[in-house]
Amino acid sequence: MKRISRVLIANRGEIALRIIRACRNLGISTVLAASEIDRESLPARLADRVVCIGPSSPRESYLQVGTLIMAALGTGAEAIHPGYGFLAEQPELPEACAQNGLIFIGPKAHQIRQMGDKIFARKLAQNLGIPVIPGSDTIRELGEALSAAERWGYPLLLKAAAGGGGKGMKIVRRREDMEISFSEAASEAHAAFGDSRLYLERFIPRARHVEVQILGDRYGNLVHLGERDCSIQRRYQKMIEETPSPALSPAQRDALCQAAIRIAQEIQYENAGTVEFIFDPDQDRFYFLEMNTRIQVEHPVTEMVTGVDLVMEQIRIAGGEPLRFRQEEIQCRGHAMECRINAESPHRDFQPCPGRIAAWKPPEGKEIRIDTHCDPGYFVPPHYDSLLGKLVAWAPDRPAVIHRLTEALADFQVSGLDTTIPFLRFILKNPEFIQGTVHTRWIEETLLPEYQRHERNRLC
Amino acid sequence: MTSITQDDVLFILKLLDESPFDELQIEYGDLKLRVKKQGKLEEVGRGAQEDQKTLSTPLELQGGQSSLPQALEGKGTPVPPPPVDDATLAEKGLIPIRAPMLGTFYRTPKPGAPPFVEVGSFVEEDDPVCIIEVMKLFNTVRAGVRGRIAKICAEQGQMVEFQQTLFWVEKANGKGPSKGKRK
Repeated sequence: MKRISRVLIANRGEIALRIIRACRNLGISTVLAASEIDRESLPARLADRVVCIGPSSPRESYLQVGTLIMAALGTGAEAIHPGYGFLAEQPELPEACAQNGLIFIGPKAHQIRQMGDKIFARKLAQNLGIPVIPGSDTIRELGEALSAAERWGYPLLLKAAAGGGGKGMKIVRRREDMEISFSEAASEAHAAFGDSRLYLERFIPRARHVEVQILGDRYGNLVHLGERDCSIQRRYQKMIEETPSPALSPAQRDALCQAAIRIAQEIQYENAGTVEFIFDPDQDRFYFLEMNTRIQVEHPVTEMVTGVDLVMEQIRIAGGEPLRFRQEEIQCRGHAMECRINAESPHRDFQPCPGRIAAWKPPEGKEIRIDTHCDPGYFVPPHYDSLLGKLVAWAPDRPAVIHRLTEALADFQVSGLDTTIPFLRFILKNPEFIQGTVHTRWIEETLLPEYQRHERNRLC
Repeated sequence: MTSITQDDVLFILKLLDESPFDELQIEYGDLKLRVKKQGKLEEVGRGAQEDQKTLSTPLELQGGQSSLPQALEGKGTPVPPPPVDDATLAEKGLIPIRAPMLGTFYRTPKPGAPPFVEVGSFVEEDDPVCIIEVMKLFNTVRAGVRGRIAKICAEQGQMVEFQQTLFWVEKANGKGPSKGKRK
């Protein structure tokens, strides 16, 4: 087994920094593949070496498989860590790694491909007796959609077969809306994934998003590290994540984690992955949604309660080591909550606002963690997503963690550009959020109108 | 082919020194010798004469004869360029040719072929100066500037980064000579 002594990081921002830290802890040297605008970034300053892989546009830099392979070979790296986003779930990167004698820190190419096909993943879960949201097979034309809708009843959700992230997804409330929604969803799906195939799903009005963290090695060992509840979303973009989920009973939690293990087992999943479910509190049922074959943005909450460094485990697994713990050795302790700090303007419909950060002073304190690549004077480039950092807190229980996070957000000093911090504070003090009775469309349906009223009153 | 000896070179330099000309370039087989009286190239950085085997002044040659073998182009292995401050070269009015992508740098159109350019070569904007390979895709890099190659900064077969400086060019003013000829 080839030992990993140098890793090329094919990503940017806070996750690049996170990977650098994990490598340092393992005594591994780091090469950061940086686009032109990221050459002077904080991760670039902290990596042992930086190679400039192309212009700022991701298409010409972070999405260039060949360039990243050349950069790894040319700098003597044995492995590539893809982070999340960019090429993390493109099977072409692990394939190119294998062809060039490099280790891909992640699952096998065929596992990425299998789980990337949402219809395949649904069938796999169904065959294992794991419920999926009742829905149709692939639908190619409007007629099929209409007759399937007759069987399932409205409201329905139209979804892209190749998709995720809300692209190509439409709620259809009445028969009359099907035609326009179908063509919109198909063209969105085609634009986003180059694949216009759709399917229909029953719409769950108060759905919660609950996902299970998995780690697997190549020797067939698999463990779960509990769940994360990511129901606080705006347009399918997560804003706050926490563990454990306030909506699950211990029995439900156990059933959910076992279902996740069985899905991962079925494809002999290797490395870190996340199995996502929709939990319907009205029916007290969960449904398999999809599996993400990468490290996720919200992984720190799992780390806070388990004490496991997921990125370090990813590297160990990729290097051929067996898992270092059995299921019964993983203990979840206390409650952790993360909020995403984005360069977005809450009072201008969350419009991204790149620009120069003037002041940047994150909070400090016991059981507070901040993952960020920002510092005073940093220019937030307009080419990438708007995530500035993640503020994570731990406490023995949920009320205490909400309190701690609220205090920490109040201490967070940022100026020069708008951030989501004011809106996050507004969420944290909301009684429904504190009760833990929210769902994935709660922000849009309930909280945003309230926030806008609040903002108007504040300004008057 | 009879080769040129050190004595021959010293003789040539003496001729130049006593002549009214400032610059001399000799091509003899695969050997190229280029000499300048006022050492304009020498001024821009030691790298220019060390790694590219260009002799700058008679004095320099006489003072340090060990550098002579390097003066004979096409012989021996290239010496890696010493680090030279880019800003210094830019101040001297030299124009960089930068890598348009990350990849492997090749000075020759194919293995065994002569390099596209050497130090002292005159290039038109459209002239190819090197190839950058990315995963078996060969991308020809053109000069993009008209002038004389003053320094070659990348090594054959090595990885170069996006926007890394590959060459420094002494830009030609007005209507200059055609490629390969003296100014």
